[in-house]
Amino acid sequence: MADLKPPRFAQKVLLSFLREEISEEVQGDLEELFFSNLEKSTPARARLNYWYQVLNYLRPFAIKKFKSTFSNYLTMYKHDIKIGWRNLTKQKMYSAIKIGGLGMGIAACFLIALYLKEELSYDQSYPDASRIYRIVGRATTDGVIEKWVSFPAPMAKAMLKDFPEIEISARLMPNSLFPGAGSNEIRPSDNKENTYEEGFTYADGELLNMLQLPIIYGDKRNALSEPNTMVISKSKANKYFPGQNPVGKIMFLNNDKSRPWKISAVIQDPPSTSHLQYNFYLTLSGIEWWQGEQSSWDADNYVDYILLRPGTDVALFKKKLTTDIGYNYYLPTMLKGGDKNAEKELATFSLHLQPVGDIHLKSYDIKDGLTHGDIRFVLMFAAIACFILVIACINFINLSTAKSANRAREIGLKKVAGASRNVLITQFLTESLLFSFFSFILGILLAWILLPYFNLVSARSLVIPWSAWWLAPGLLVSAVIIGLAAGLYPSIYLSSFMPIQVLKGELSRGSKNSILRNGLVIFQFTASIILIISTVVIYDQMHFILNKKLGYNKEQVILVQGANTLNKEVKNFKNELLKNPHVINVSVSDYLPVTGTKRNGNTFWEESKRNSESGVTGQFWRVDNDYIKTLGMKIIQGRDFNSSMPSDSQAVIINQTLANKLNLKDPVGKRIFNGGTYEVIGVVEDFNFESLRDNINGLCMQLGNSSSIISVKVNSADMQKTIAYITSVWKTFSPNQTIRYTFLDESYARMYADVKRLVSIITGFAILAIIIACLGLLGLSSFIAEQRTKEIGVRKVMGAGIGTITGLMSKDFVMLVGIAFAIASPVAYWAMNKWLQDFAFHINIGWWVFALGGFVAVSIALITVSFQSIKAALMDPVKSLRKE
Amino acid sequence: METHLGNFEEVILLITGILGEEAYAFKIADEVEIQTGRTTSIGAVHSTLNRLENKGFLTSQFGKPTVERGGRRKRIYTITAYGRRILAASRDFKLSLWKQYPDIIIDSLIYGRLSIKGI
Repeated sequence: MADLKPPRFAQKVLLSFLREEISEEVQGDLEELFFSNLEKSTPARARLNYWYQVLNYLRPFAIKKFKSTFSNYLTMYKHDIKIGWRNLTKQKMYSAIKIGGLGMGIAACFLIALYLKEELSYDQSYPDASRIYRIVGRATTDGVIEKWVSFPAPMAKAMLKDFPEIEISARLMPNSLFPGAGSNEIRPSDNKENTYEEGFTYADGELLNMLQLPIIYGDKRNALSEPNTMVISKSKANKYFPGQNPVGKIMFLNNDKSRPWKISAVIQDPPSTSHLQYNFYLTLSGIEWWQGEQSSWDADNYVDYILLRPGTDVALFKKKLTTDIGYNYYLPTMLKGGDKNAEKELATFSLHLQPVGDIHLKSYDIKDGLTHGDIRFVLMFAAIACFILVIACINFINLSTAKSANRAREIGLKKVAGASRNVLITQFLTESLLFSFFSFILGILLAWILLPYFNLVSARSLVIPWSAWWLAPGLLVSAVIIGLAAGLYPSIYLSSFMPIQVLKGELSRGSKNSILRNGLVIFQFTASIILIISTVVIYDQMHFILNKKLGYNKEQVILVQGANTLNKEVKNFKNELLKNPHVINVSVSDYLPVTGTKRNGNTFWEESKRNSESGVTGQFWRVDNDYIKTLGMKIIQGRDFNSSMPSDSQAVIINQTLANKLNLKDPVGKRIFNGGTYEVIGVVEDFNFESLRDNINGLCMQLGNSSSIISVKVNSADMQKTIAYITSVWKTFSPNQTIRYTFLDESYARMYADVKRLVSIITGFAILAIIIACLGLLGLSSFIAEQRTKEIGVRKVMGAGIGTITGLMSKDFVMLVGIAFAIASPVAYWAMNKWLQDFAFHINIGWWVFALGGFVAVSIALITVSFQSIKAALMDPVKSLRKE
Repeated sequence: METHLGNFEEVILLITGILGEEAYAFKIADEVEIQTGRTTSIGAVHSTLNRLENKGFLTSQFGKPTVERGGRRKRIYTITAYGRRILAASRDFKLSLWKQYPDIIIDSLIYGRLSIKGI
């Protein structure tokens, strides 16, 4: 019993609030009670009772008086706010610069934060999101890491069978290589008009269950379970069956009446923050693209998703999965196909699980045909947001310390009157909080005004979540933090003045701190110059992309889409078009040298080496006789396809890359193998059929049927008229389907929409950074001009001209910008070089970019400073010298 | 100075007088519990003692430290002459009220058989 003591924490709590005069007796009383309780009951009860007693001492008479001068503080705060407000209104220009600069920074940060919030919220809302994974394959070929998400048809079922860890496995097949997926002409069975729709995919019904997509009509369990059923989104249901329950209704795709699709359910539209932007899910049930396709491990066309059971060790499971799929399924198939290197190839192969929430941001090195964000951009934007805010804060600090001379007397006097340093620090912090609040109000207002433009540039539809519970407190806390952060240094600096020196007028007029202040200006201009140079480089690269010789001619080519519904009429359509003198060539092929058109993956061998060497990957395109002529490609060896030669059905034309990769010295006449054997009749000059980010891959073209897109090469000054002609021809052939056409050069430009967007965004940031830097410079220069009033007066009296004085004032600033330029150039070079590495085809950064960046920065700085320096130079010396 | 004496205050004041030399917060609280059968906390008692002291009914000084208090002194409360007078006044006032009470009701109160209907 003797070692039992009252709870120590309770004692601490007691002492923390108890008045000292009574602490001894109270502690004594409580302890006595505690020990008497110990004798009567259990230690636990005694302790509990001790706590009870402690809390019962929370009475006014027993509680310490916390600083009896509290009311004085309140008065002081009021005083601080009043002085702050007077300062704000007295120096209107300074205040406007301070608030405006910070407000702009806050607006930019706020917009970026909204953008980041959206980016980071992708695919987070599925109830089981933490357990849903997409399967990613990874292998190293020739030292190059490749990642992909397409797998054989039977793999999903095989995984489910082999691993009890998997609760649900499901397949998605959005590849437009297969008719139905991608885009279609669609109509309800009782309607004649076809409508073009995008966002079709094939999927297993399990996928909808796994993601638990909200169902509006129909049965969740059986959606997609029967062959030829489809699930559509709510907006499409409203479009085709307004005000009805469409479950059980029939729809036709591309006029194909032999294959009606029955609607089995309607789901909610996908939110913008989902990577699955599909409005039409077609069932995979009953699908078999060719004989034995569903059980074949030869072709990879399906994206697999799995739902793991709770508590599964993902790292371990991943390994088990790789071994199982690799050795039990892939290896036998590869060996059967005659692949002698199968074991070696499998050694670098592995399967990975990508959490569904990572798909949007962490897939930039995975080829999955989706447009997604990039965690690197997210990080970059976050960095820029912080950067802008820091610059804006620095401005604030800079201006506050620069004005020190004006406040020095006030500080000195206050100190003489007995103000402690803490009191002064509080005063300046209060002032900076005042500024911060005004800046926030301005910033949010600006963000609100600019949001539509920001949405336009970033291709988003962001809204400010006014009604969110966290918005107001979040902004308030941020305002306080920024106010404190920006005000801390000035308040410490200003409060450190020695009253005796200040009152004697000995304050070294800011010169002591010129290193620091100059440093801040240099920092701002460094940031601005980096952004200017980046803008120029990105713009230059964009210009390069749009004007590069691609190996084909993208100008004046009209692409008529959805032509597969013409079926056999396509030939007549083509001939009809050619009757117009402005139509030069017409070609029918879905494989076009812009992304978004049809693609495949194939492996080629030179026929004689097919069993001894590993193959070369490349594209195998089905084109027609007029393809090369229409798109203006160049045959450099051999000949083009010829419609009059029936043997051309087994002939192919390859590009230079494929010829090189296959090591064909004299390719014409050689035979290559890919499932069948083909004779090479010609070599086409390499052309960029993928984005300029990638190197040109091997390509092999064969005559064949792929009839969705008709390319029409025209030569016409009056494009309108030619298009009108094409439209009228289309109407006679396909009266129930509206013509859809695009231009090849526009499709090409669309491939680089992200670059174009980047140009706008970086330009925006650069302008912002320059404005903020200029505001800072403007404030600083006007301060210096004020400081040197007397000096300028004397100089003028001695005969200095306006030019001399302006030069004198500007010289220092130009030097600062020069230093900033020296720092910014290598940084910008490094960053931009890194960005350009993303492109296999890119510009080299020329010296002129830096010259331009430097020139712009110096001119802007000079113009800014000149406002003040010319004003100072024009000042009447009598006025400035009379003050003494 | 306020001179009103609340019910709890009166009890505390009386018990302080009863305990004499042993009248310190813990003992008083203990005695209150014994005498009234109601639980209370030392804090509540201390608060009342403090108030009574402010009103001038009590004075206090430090007593001897003891072992069970961890060597801490206790504050012994003593009734002042003014306090005794207030207690007496309070008792007399109540007695005078009692004297005005009809006898039958006093009997009923004492034996607990009062019938409201009877009045």
